[in-house]
Amino acid sequence: MSDVKNWQINREMQYPYEESRPQKQWSIVFDLNKCIACQTCSLACKTTWTSGKGQEYMFWNNVETKPWGSYPMAWDLNILEKLGRQDWAKNGETYEGKTIFEAAEPEEVAAHFFPTDEDWMYPNIGEDDCTGNLEGGAHLNMPHKHWFFYLPRTCAHCTYPACLASCPRKAIYKRPEDGIVLIDQSRCKGYGECVRACPYKKSMYNPHTRVSEKCIGCYPAVEEGKQPMCVQNCIGKIRIMGFISPPWKARMDNPVDFLVHKKKLALPYYPQLGLEPNIYYIPPIHADLEYLTQMFGPRVQESIDNYKTLKDDPVAQGLLVLMGSTDRIIHSFKVANGKATGYDEKGQEIVTVPVTEPLIVREAFDSELGAARHNTP
Amino acid sequence: MKSKKTKKARNTILTLLAMPLMATGLSIGSAVYGQAGQGLSAEKTSHNLFHLKPSDGAWKKAPMQSVDLMAQPMALPRPKLTLTEKMAVQVLHNGKSIAFRLSWKDPEKSAAGRLGLFSDAVALEFPVKLTDGQPPSPFMGEPDKPVHIFHWRAQYQKDKEMGRHPTMVDLYPNMSVDAYPMEFKDEAAPQGSESQRRMFAPGQAAGNPQSYVKTGVDEIFAEGFGSSSLAPEIEAESEAEWKNGEWSVVITRPLKTSLGSELKVGGKNFVCFAVWQGGKREVGSRKSVTLMWVELNLKA
Repeated sequence: MSDVKNWQINREMQYPYEESRPQKQWSIVFDLNKCIACQTCSLACKTTWTSGKGQEYMFWNNVETKPWGSYPMAWDLNILEKLGRQDWAKNGETYEGKTIFEAAEPEEVAAHFFPTDEDWMYPNIGEDDCTGNLEGGAHLNMPHKHWFFYLPRTCAHCTYPACLASCPRKAIYKRPEDGIVLIDQSRCKGYGECVRACPYKKSMYNPHTRVSEKCIGCYPAVEEGKQPMCVQNCIGKIRIMGFISPPWKARMDNPVDFLVHKKKLALPYYPQLGLEPNIYYIPPIHADLEYLTQMFGPRVQESIDNYKTLKDDPVAQGLLVLMGSTDRIIHSFKVANGKATGYDEKGQEIVTVPVTEPLIVREAFDSELGAARHNTP
Repeated sequence: MKSKKTKKARNTILTLLAMPLMATGLSIGSAVYGQAGQGLSAEKTSHNLFHLKPSDGAWKKAPMQSVDLMAQPMALPRPKLTLTEKMAVQVLHNGKSIAFRLSWKDPEKSAAGRLGLFSDAVALEFPVKLTDGQPPSPFMGEPDKPVHIFHWRAQYQKDKEMGRHPTMVDLYPNMSVDAYPMEFKDEAAPQGSESQRRMFAPGQAAGNPQSYVKTGVDEIFAEGFGSSSLAPEIEAESEAEWKNGEWSVVITRPLKTSLGSELKVGGKNFVCFAVWQGGKREVGSRKSVTLMWVELNLKA
């Protein structure tokens, strides 16, 4: 066991290998206020990577409804229950509880639960289910009295992956060039240790090839400077893929660093598990704060407050419109004169978009033609 | 056969020996590995030992011996409890090949296949060579001191019996799928070649032997935990039977293999055993093992 720095929980923690941060770290930010669970991401991933035999049940990218949905069944409840009650320090800075590595039994690498095949069989369980029924006379207030939100999930290509830590064959590796975590398909023997250990349950066993598989971060696209298929195909434009720096190296013109470190809008999910996951969420502003705090840590209120003041921040607005405006990976961005521009790794312009679309008002009566305008043909 | 009293004493010694092993890890001196705690002998026979079934009459000549197993104590993850404490062993050789008949209690037959299920399995381990008369660490060997492992799985045996790889419908009889890539229900549609279809089965495309049809027993070389790799050639054979809550597996190998270990009549031979209860989710390093090399005497 080594002591490694995990900035998401603001302390050192125990991990089977030494700290070894990649040159760049693959990362996605999701704006949960915009996700409508259309599952276009799930299908983009499915048709690209998991249409083969043994992959029928696999969704490397899935979208589940919270709080009742989960894929596989109750993955989140199971690992939280395993850990039991754990707390953050009162000031909300440091996690004082145990990570899954620290809570592991002496025979195990990580505290875990192991789903059976039935747990994988209901990928859309709980979809669109609200926390409860509205009583007569109910009205909207914030946060909503009854709520649900959608949680799109890919592999988080963690800084401290539990899958990698638990593989007895060392068949899982994290690429130094982009931080993508891969299972070597030629070395894996299908022991399922990664399926057991990953608390997010993003390693999946293929019963046809008898080895385990997982989200590959669309590395062939990333190597060509393109964002993964789930990001490219997001019709709600709720995602952006880029490379996140640890906070001590954050660069404010890097879209992911800006959203996570500068604006403190996007938060990691279940950071208390101790993996330093690299998918980040802008939490939904309408859902229950306690639930969100359990999922995203103690900074949720700060993030929601920041989200509500976005209208006063043209730079952040510019970045949010750059999301979904290009298939390519934006390494840096600039907002000036009402326009937001994204640049590639070499500083070449990729795309420029207006921060606010021009507003054109058409009068109800067309005086030139002497006719009233209708919205219907 | 040893008396009950000796057996009990031997178990105590084994347990005592296991403790420092657990505490000090692999750094323990190799001298200990040679101090075989249990001894086995192989009877000479004139039978052809390949294709010998567990129920074959030839086994009547081989005395029933046994080895004690313990939960693998060295590498994580490891089992909490020893699920297989004892295995019955019979050994026959004919001067050219050697057959082990291994039986152990397993109330639940498990041949893996579906998600979250694992296969019952058993393995024999032999040193590839001795260094100064000493075998390497019995825990999967050491760097530059490889071990030669014969790994039988119920899952592999099933492959052998079916003569093919199980299909998804074999595993999930009620499943339904519209179409797989390059493989369409409509015969008139453009069907892909085998190699094109393989591109959609990553393990196969990567040439992983796990993803291809097995012949019952795998031969493996290892130089420490996590280093095992499949031998390029498999010379061993297996036959197996599960009856009344007990597995009986016969593994037959040549005395002299072309690439790995060699067993000598009248010489000093060592063997180790491991058993996995797949139904209890034992797999990989979650297994019961003999903690030290067992001396194996091939009778002339």
